[in-house]
Amino acid sequence: MKNLFLFLSFFLLLIFSGCSKNSNEVVVYTSVDQIFSEPILKDFEKETGIKIKVIYDTEETKSTGVLNRLIAEKNNPQCDLFWSGDPMRAIVLKNKGISIPYQSPAAEDIPAVYKDPDYYWVGFSARARVLIYNKSLLDSSDVPKSIFDLTNRKYKGKVAIANPLFGTTTFQIAALFQYLGDKRTKQFLSDLKKNDVVITTSNGDVKKRVIKGEVACGLTDTDDAHEAIKNGANVGFLFLDQEDGIGSLIMPNTLNLIKNSPHVENGKKLMNYLLSGKTEAKLAKSCAQMPLHKGVKTPDDVPSLDNIVPMKIDYDSTANKLVEIQSYLKKWTESNY
Amino acid sequence: MKNELTMKYKFQLTFGKLLIAVFTLSVVLPFLYTFISALFFEGSFGKNLLNKVTLYLLLKSVVLSSIVALFSTLFGAVSGFLLYKTKIAFRGVFKIALLLPLFVSPYILAVAWKDFFFSVFSNTSFISSYIGVIFVLTVLFTPLSMLIVGSALSNINSHFEESGLLITSFRTVVLKIDLPLIKPALIASFVLVFIFSVSEFSVPAFFGVKVFTTEIFTQFSAFYNHSLAIAQSALLVIICLLLLFSEKKYISDAPFFSIDGKGTSNKIYDLQNGNLFGFIYLSALLIVSVLLPFVILFVQSFKDGTGKFIQAFELLAPTFANSILLAVAGALLIVLIGFTAANYSVRQTNSGKAQVFNWLLLLIFAIPSTVFGISLIKFYNRPIFNFIYSSYAIILIGYAGKFSFISAKLIENALKQIPSSLNEVAVIEGVSPLSRLIKIFIPLILPTLFAAFIIGFIFSLGELGITIMVYPPGSEIMPIKVFTIMANAPQSLTSSMSLIVFSITLLIISLFFFSVKPFFKNYNYLDD
Repeated sequence: MKNLFLFLSFFLLLIFSGCSKNSNEVVVYTSVDQIFSEPILKDFEKETGIKIKVIYDTEETKSTGVLNRLIAEKNNPQCDLFWSGDPMRAIVLKNKGISIPYQSPAAEDIPAVYKDPDYYWVGFSARARVLIYNKSLLDSSDVPKSIFDLTNRKYKGKVAIANPLFGTTTFQIAALFQYLGDKRTKQFLSDLKKNDVVITTSNGDVKKRVIKGEVACGLTDTDDAHEAIKNGANVGFLFLDQEDGIGSLIMPNTLNLIKNSPHVENGKKLMNYLLSGKTEAKLAKSCAQMPLHKGVKTPDDVPSLDNIVPMKIDYDSTANKLVEIQSYLKKWTESNY
Repeated sequence: MKNELTMKYKFQLTFGKLLIAVFTLSVVLPFLYTFISALFFEGSFGKNLLNKVTLYLLLKSVVLSSIVALFSTLFGAVSGFLLYKTKIAFRGVFKIALLLPLFVSPYILAVAWKDFFFSVFSNTSFISSYIGVIFVLTVLFTPLSMLIVGSALSNINSHFEESGLLITSFRTVVLKIDLPLIKPALIASFVLVFIFSVSEFSVPAFFGVKVFTTEIFTQFSAFYNHSLAIAQSALLVIICLLLLFSEKKYISDAPFFSIDGKGTSNKIYDLQNGNLFGFIYLSALLIVSVLLPFVILFVQSFKDGTGKFIQAFELLAPTFANSILLAVAGALLIVLIGFTAANYSVRQTNSGKAQVFNWLLLLIFAIPSTVFGISLIKFYNRPIFNFIYSSYAIILIGYAGKFSFISAKLIENALKQIPSSLNEVAVIEGVSPLSRLIKIFIPLILPTLFAAFIIGFIFSLGELGITIMVYPPGSEIMPIKVFTIMANAPQSLTSSMSLIVFSITLLIISLFFFSVKPFFKNYNYLDD
């Protein structure tokens, strides 16, 4: 009986552990890959003494697990700060009334285009959409230079893109709709489908297929391409549409403070920390993200935003466009031309 | 004396009723609450809930899952027979080795198979198709069928088979005695695998095959339409309930035979020339379902030396204690709930109320994990339930909801095979219900309780779908860490982490087996 009592006590202690609330902590949900975000969050913990509690996302849930959780938790938020890998999710939170505005002093010199006009979200360290290609399968002269080249017959069945219903691929397609208009973008997507584009589950899957030579090239993010090269894969990447073209899509990380969160002040401290040039330098080193602050020191192989022609879009309008085109994209993904 | 008996009986009844009430309130109510809110207060689905496309996808999922359930049960039954009823060489090794796919996440197995097809054939179109989904899911669920059918085969009283062999051939004994006796297990295996397959999302999504669960996931993740996703998942639940209803109707007429004394005396056949064919069959199954994918994982882990393996170990080490304790707690809870449900179901077969618990277990089992996870958030995420939502209790509720049905099925099958005469004699002798339970029923089904614990442990340790939705911020849980790290991590790191998870699971299960072996030496079930 005594043993049973001890066992039950231990059992209850185990299952209810972690439920104590501590004022000296901050809860952050992030869709940024754990391998890159965790070291930075641990540095914050070490430097400030504020305990960090994190929920990371998984590739299996297409990095939408935390966003769905934030939406489901709307009436009793557990999270203080949401760190997203792109502005689309930040805008979803703003539109659903889940975030609050905060004008961080650390974001003063970040260009206005990368901030919400009402400060519901703020951007920092950016990635871009790029073309990753297999060097064994494509000579440098054969590598497509424009996104529209992907519909060329010589690349039939050789190009991969991730499912456009999810992640940064949705963002890129929505940006095309916003920039080019519905008619031209639909024509482009139709031509892409006719050219037997391979639709994969994620950007990571695009990268893997290009590395293995299953396809010659594909659209992905700069951090995926950089990671492939760092691991010794025989691939290269380039920014599309740089010469008299539409430019490349730039995607900053974003931060939202959550409405009615339990540790607002600590959330603001963490937000200020993440928006600093110091964090941008670390992200540049670990995953080739491009700083938005001026004068941040980066490794030589990290491109500078000063040298890239960006696609000129408004993030808010693009997010609204994304909602509008989701049903069309679903049909496009499922259709057989 | 009479008063004492009545008190004990009342205690047993009260405990059972209390457990059912707690399960209903803590596990079933969250889903019903979310479902009713979604259907009547939040949702405006129009034709989106039921239209040609959704019906077609539903039909596709049903066909696909039926094929997987059929193949898994077929391969599982043959393997179960060879391993539990014959003298095939190395059957002890096969018994353990063929269970290994159960320890690996479906997603990781799918990745390994795709890599294998690309490495060998330079093409993945064969595996990235319906055939691929059927193949991977069959490989994944055959061990489950093997366990269920093998357990039923080893519970057959040898007297029936020996009497049969005196007057007829081995083939007729197998077809006319063994097969009818294990029909409930075959059907249970089909139903379980069907429900697992029909709510599985990661494998079809990875192979780019559109089924009903991928549609539900799209509503969640692309449209953030929780209400429609929850309402659509109810269609899956209805199909599973219909399936179980027909199973119940069929099994209620099936004959159940008694087992003797303490445990069973299992008849082992000598197949003579058939031994070789049996050995070849098991070896082929082992190669296809275990060796090939694990060789791929192994090669990928160590292709750049041991560095990534060490890194993977360092990353996962902080999660070991938490995850194992949580899985043990989950498995104990699952066995307790499963036993209570099975006991009610078997001993009060005529009571409609007794069956309700079983239906509730099935209801939660059949819901896709993401939907159940969202239900738990919507119900528990309020200040009054913070002690549950912010602790591991929320994960345990998830485990209990998702896996108690399996243990209930396993335990119910075992309880049904205990002769009613044993209970009747004890009742005449004035043995109290609690004493009958502790001294007769539990000892007789101890191996099945252990098997239910092991299955509960394996599933809890690898559970991802619900855990990712509800795990408390800052907690370290093994499958979550594997999947959050694998995004953008090199393949060698991902494969190393999968190998470590697999090794830890195998190590813990071996420890369990060795710890209980002395207690089970009188049971043939755990031989080898």
